[in-house]
Amino acid sequence: MAFLTNLINGLSLGSVYAIIALGYTMVYGIAKMLNFAHGDVIMVGAYIAYITMSSLGLPSFVAIIFAMIVCTVLGIVIERLAYKPLRQATSLAVLITAIGVSYFLQNAALLIFGSAPVSFRSVVKIPALKLFGGELIVTGESMVTVIACIIIMIALTIFTKKSKMGKAMRAVSEDKGAAELMGINVNVTISATFAIGSALAAIAGVLLCSAYPVLMPTTGSMPGIKAFTAAVFGGIGSIPGAMVGGLLLGVIETFSKFYISTELSDAIVFAVLIIVLLVKPTGILGKKISEKV
Amino acid sequence: MLKVDNINVYYGKIHALKDVSLEVKEGEIVALIGANGAGKSTTLKTISGLLRSETGGITLLDEDISHTDAYKLVSKGMAHVPEGRRIFLQMTVLENLEMGAYTNDKDVKEKLADVFKRFPRLEHRKNQIAGTLSGGEQQMLAMGRALMSNPKLLMLDEPSMGLAPILVQQIFDIIKELHAAGTTILLVEQNAEMALAIADRAYVLESGRIALSGTGKELAKSDAIKKAYLGG
Repeated sequence: MAFLTNLINGLSLGSVYAIIALGYTMVYGIAKMLNFAHGDVIMVGAYIAYITMSSLGLPSFVAIIFAMIVCTVLGIVIERLAYKPLRQATSLAVLITAIGVSYFLQNAALLIFGSAPVSFRSVVKIPALKLFGGELIVTGESMVTVIACIIIMIALTIFTKKSKMGKAMRAVSEDKGAAELMGINVNVTISATFAIGSALAAIAGVLLCSAYPVLMPTTGSMPGIKAFTAAVFGGIGSIPGAMVGGLLLGVIETFSKFYISTELSDAIVFAVLIIVLLVKPTGILGKKISEKV
Repeated sequence: MLKVDNINVYYGKIHALKDVSLEVKEGEIVALIGANGAGKSTTLKTISGLLRSETGGITLLDEDISHTDAYKLVSKGMAHVPEGRRIFLQMTVLENLEMGAYTNDKDVKEKLADVFKRFPRLEHRKNQIAGTLSGGEQQMLAMGRALMSNPKLLMLDEPSMGLAPILVQQIFDIIKELHAAGTTILLVEQNAEMALAIADRAYVLESGRIALSGTGKELAKSDAIKKAYLGG
């Protein structure tokens, strides 16, 4: 029964990683950059939801929508102000800028919200499911997180395969110049990608803090790094890869916490990443980089 | 239709195009020939807005497009089939064609039917991933994709590159058909002989400068051209 409990907890944690990893992977696919500030957008989303619920006393679904709106705008603004001027710059300059944006967000949050952790009230009102005579407890948060992750995954897949904007995103991710020659506005497409990734980060932030209710300015950084790992693990640039990577990472982390050691669990997670990358450098579902003719 | 007036383009410190001027009149096939690195592709990229000229101007249908964003030119009637085809290799043939109609997705069915009539092999492979096509099919897809925007001016960059002679002939036949159907064409080619044979007029680029211009027939007979580009 411990195995099942851990598996469910792992899948739930992994679903949060997967939702965050989708943001990393989509932005990487289109802008070919690692947006290290993505983790901190999660934190901003969680704070917005917290304020909406605790200070304004509004219901939780309003909080989620507020958080998504603020994060969407934040994502677009970050891209416009920090990354767009560097479109032609070396990837190292962009990477360092992203790290800078990450610290900026953390410190801005420190200034606004203070360093003391606040206790986040769960947005999930569904009671826990007790199975096998109470031996296996599945929390409402776990169920909602996993279901949200599945819905997001299906919606994103349909969006990129079927919608005009989604197809344009795939075209831009393959060849910006050629996409432009088709009449696709590359800047708008990149903004849209940041918007979607950041809205997902808001959802991830709310779900994460509902399950682990301690919120402070650095809350987003570790899950952000883990989700980045998950994206690389699954094959960065690949949407199903982010999903698989996130879920696997969550399960591995939870199992190593329970069966091996709480302290070592992060080390184990990253060791597995290193091994996967040694065996398959493009990640589990990563695409081979096609040669340009 | 298209007027390029005295453009100068730099790649960093390299002066790639020097005082290039050229004109394409409605209904013409104009060829731009020259050796590797002469600036042919650079000229097309500058016209389609992917590169910027430091001087002069470019007008399309009497509208100044020197500073217009590349993505806006498609709806103004320009289509550019870039060097190396640049089709979306991970998307299907049909999706590639849909991208061609991105700015104007009215009558997509009719346009698709038209492209499939011209390139029947694309229809057989429409659900295939474009990366699995042969070189000739990829060139057809690149041209078909450009035609999906119903261009008034079609710019082709080395459509014969890397293709077997029989396919080159096919591609040139298609260019002639498109021209007969009323499309104005600016053709960049290394295969000078074939390009001059179908061109109304042609320009010869040499190290970033227009060295010669004239009708296709004149240039094909010119001794300088014969020596430099036609092998004797």
